[in-house]
Amino acid sequence: MGDMQPMNIAPDQAKSLAQQAFEPVALRAFGLALSRGDTKLAQNLDLSLDPGEAILLTGHNGAGKTTLLRTLAGFVRPDAGRVEINGQPLSETAGEQVGWLGHTDGLKPAETVRQSLAFWMRVQGGGKISPLPTLRALDMDRWIDRPTGRLSRGQQRRIALARVILSNRPLWLLDEPAGPLDGQGRTRLAEQVQAHRSRGGSVIAATHQVLDWSDARLLNLGGTS
Amino acid sequence: MSVLWAIFLREAGVAWGGGGGAAGPTAFFLAAITLAPLAIGPAPEILLVVAPGIMAFIALLAVLQSAERLFGDDLGDGTLDLYALTATSLPWLALSKTLGQAFATLFPLPIIATIGGMMYGLPPQPALILGLALLMAIPALSLIAGFAGALVAGVRRGGLLISLIATPMMIPVLIFASSAGRSALVGDERDVASLLLTAAVSLASIALFPFGIAAAIRSRLS
Repeated sequence: MGDMQPMNIAPDQAKSLAQQAFEPVALRAFGLALSRGDTKLAQNLDLSLDPGEAILLTGHNGAGKTTLLRTLAGFVRPDAGRVEINGQPLSETAGEQVGWLGHTDGLKPAETVRQSLAFWMRVQGGGKISPLPTLRALDMDRWIDRPTGRLSRGQQRRIALARVILSNRPLWLLDEPAGPLDGQGRTRLAEQVQAHRSRGGSVIAATHQVLDWSDARLLNLGGTS
Repeated sequence: MSVLWAIFLREAGVAWGGGGGAAGPTAFFLAAITLAPLAIGPAPEILLVVAPGIMAFIALLAVLQSAERLFGDDLGDGTLDLYALTATSLPWLALSKTLGQAFATLFPLPIIATIGGMMYGLPPQPALILGLALLMAIPALSLIAGFAGALVAGVRRGGLLISLIATPMMIPVLIFASSAGRSALVGDERDVASLLLTAAVSLASIALFPFGIAAAIRSRLS
């Protein structure tokens, strides 16, 4: 982490996040074999992610990016192999260590941004900090009392990203995080990922887009992308 | 406990705000108890006898109405993924969610059943016993419907499967709840026993079905 750039986020968000703390974690996957139906997606896949690191999963449609992410989150059981967080089986730790951003945003249309974030911070143990600085950093603070169903797809994605940030989990697993984001949104995403890594957090993201995340390793699944 | 309470309140709020709350089941219940006499016939002596069974049966159908969306919506919008990644155990979470939704959508049914029973000619005490029996039956009915809903979450035309899976398991609740009203009507002391049996089935459902729902959720997430 020594050569990492300084946090490129607003001071009020940095101050807010400083009230939260997490223990950095190391993720290890050994000999993973993944399949979807009869299709073999990966064989004997090893993966290592230390605090402060990021991995971008690339590959063509159906290569197994989402399946690998869902395996690392503990949703999918691999055909073979195992996943550990800090040397412990994934099943014992995922519920406290993983910040998840899936294909869909996990928002309820009738809930306001404030209600949604407050609920998930309570359930995911994100602490009692104000969500405003994080929303401000994502240019979403003015929509805090708007129902999420009245936001655009890109705005909803930003709210889902805010939920991941505020969950205060060390390991972020992001599935197409930049999908509906515009240029400014992708910049904000990169800033938040960088800030998370500088706190000792780690990130794995599946993506089709070119994401400018410094020092991120590329893991190409399924051969050509 | 505070997390479970937060989930209970949130699910009740989502059901109320986004899903219309009690409006759907209430409207269905009212329409059904209004239409049933047209099919059965207006004879007061017949309506009096069938009232407990009709009320319990319509309540069962009203619970089934929202079962498909109980976990299907959460699977579709990614909420189940997030629930699975909390430190709260999934069975507890399933219990809070199911009862929260039941509270928001089904709470008028025992009241309407009591009033409906009197409209069918039941004296006040048997009508109250019937309403009480339905109140005790709602946790069991909701959890059974939730279990079936979790099993078929994301499956197209899951409503048909839910009916096939849930209705056989609901039979004891239907029998005990309607029998409480019937027994009270004829002055049989077994009304209290039927009430207690209904409550026992609900307690057993609270103890067992959350584990089944959690297993079904894990299966659907994979």
